[in-house]
Amino acid sequence: MPARRILITGVANFWGTGLARALLADPDVEQVVGIDTREPPSDVASAIRLIDADLRTPELRTLIRAAAVDAIVHADVPQFPEPGRAARQLHDLTVMGTLQLLAAAGDLPTLRTLVVRGSASIYGSEPAAPAFFSEEMALRPGATRFQRDLQEIETLVGGLARRRADVTCTMLRLQPVIGVQLDTPITRLLRAPVVPVMLGFDPRVQVLHEDDSVAVLRQAVHHPVAGAVNVAGPGTISLNAAIRRMGRPAVPVPHPFFGPVAGVARRIGLPPMSDDTIRYLRYGRGVALERMTNELGFTPSYDTRGAIDAVAADLRKAAAA
Amino acid sequence: MIGRLRTILGPPADEDAWGYDERFVRASQPLLDLLYDRWWRVTATGAQHLPASGRAMIAANHAGVVPWDGAMVSTAVRRHNGRDTRALVLNWAFELPWAGTAIRRGGGVPASPANARRLLEEDHLVLVFPEGAKGISKPFSERYRLERFGRGGFVATALRAGAPIVPCAVVGSEEIHPKLAEAPGVAKLLGMPYLPITPTFPLLGPLGAVPLPSRWRIEFCPPIDLSAYGPEAASDRRLVLELTDAIREQIQAKVYENLIKREGAFL
Repeated sequence: MPARRILITGVANFWGTGLARALLADPDVEQVVGIDTREPPSDVASAIRLIDADLRTPELRTLIRAAAVDAIVHADVPQFPEPGRAARQLHDLTVMGTLQLLAAAGDLPTLRTLVVRGSASIYGSEPAAPAFFSEEMALRPGATRFQRDLQEIETLVGGLARRRADVTCTMLRLQPVIGVQLDTPITRLLRAPVVPVMLGFDPRVQVLHEDDSVAVLRQAVHHPVAGAVNVAGPGTISLNAAIRRMGRPAVPVPHPFFGPVAGVARRIGLPPMSDDTIRYLRYGRGVALERMTNELGFTPSYDTRGAIDAVAADLRKAAAA
Repeated sequence: MIGRLRTILGPPADEDAWGYDERFVRASQPLLDLLYDRWWRVTATGAQHLPASGRAMIAANHAGVVPWDGAMVSTAVRRHNGRDTRALVLNWAFELPWAGTAIRRGGGVPASPANARRLLEEDHLVLVFPEGAKGISKPFSERYRLERFGRGGFVATALRAGAPIVPCAVVGSEEIHPKLAEAPGVAKLLGMPYLPITPTFPLLGPLGAVPLPSRWRIEFCPPIDLSAYGPEAASDRRLVLELTDAIREQIQAKVYENLIKREGAFL
């Protein structure tokens, strides 16, 4: 295996930084190139070649061509929409950035592997949803803006895969990632002093531990598979059972009032919630993991319950310290 | 009693990946037993046809406005065969608070080919009502005349999963809420699939939700082994429709047979 040169977008975020650290420790990795407008932690910043650029800048093509990498890991796709950001701005960040990146990737003759850290939010949360979405079930029109953005990203990746038969494009669809180092709508919700839930609803949820979310990116860099792969800790847990294991009090709110109550909660300092999050709290989501296990060859170290318990233990430790 | 109520109403203790909660099922069994033994005085026959292990699909006729038939067939299976059933349930139910959660904890899943196939591949006993919403919403005047079985999706799924189908005839479910008319305008307003008008509902208000104490019979027929056809046969439309019609006719015949055996509808 020749020495590998790998480019990571969003290198200053949790996944980009974690992956850069893991790859720098791999003996066959020659160089890691990172793209971000923010500065990654100093140990990573000093060990990689950092390109200080936004994915939407026109110079991106030249910069990426000069890097001559054989793998690109796009770790800059949001897992959940950031509430408070305008839908158009979010669309611009997620879709336009990816569009530019993939255009540049398509021109790169050395490229053999593309890994995109996508989101299982592409399936949405529906009352009539299959209990375990398998990868081919993401074709239906998305119910929310963010779902449609994710679908657009996957279409772009599919386009590159068709144009460049010599590039293996792996589209990872991660279930919500939880962990103490992370700051996402779901982790914020689980860390809130009280957790609003919908009265009479107790959806099945499935999560991925933060350590596994980095490990799966590394696995995909070394063993890419073509197409989409769901990623989650095996098993599911009902939301109320998860909240109880986290040791948080759940506050049931009748579902017709949930939106307004979430708005008031936000004003008193509780984390804001997007439509996607609210639907998730009502209907949950489970995904099928056969491709992850059999084709990607990845086994998470935590199943869903194990991940919940690990984070709960970490939070208790943090509170005691 | 308090402990049991807490199990039923409280957060789930140990659900499987489908959200099925065995402790919830055990805790709610006494209520179902009461309905089974005292209220509807169910006679179940043919339980020896249910496989002791491995995948199988039970296909039954559907009736009664409120789908109590699912709970009664499941109870009959548990009594005589000892196994738990997983029922495919009308999707709309999962939009409801409490009911949706309770159905899921009791083994119900949204009716879809993907769910049915996965359950069968995990060697569960899957209960389907091929008539779907058409079955439970038909008027009292059409009782015990089976609706069409759609496009036979349940047969295609059983073929793909290599599961035998156990036809099942239920008698008694049609009389629990005799539907005289419908209020489609109100139903639309409330987002319901339909809103029935029965002799007791909405006249008696919430009391109208109490089902009438009809006498029930449930008969399980010998399993239909589909393994000779192979999974590719699922895309053979003609075969799927033929099998579907044969199963429907068999259930219809058994329904008539049990109606005669039952004698009085209520006494």
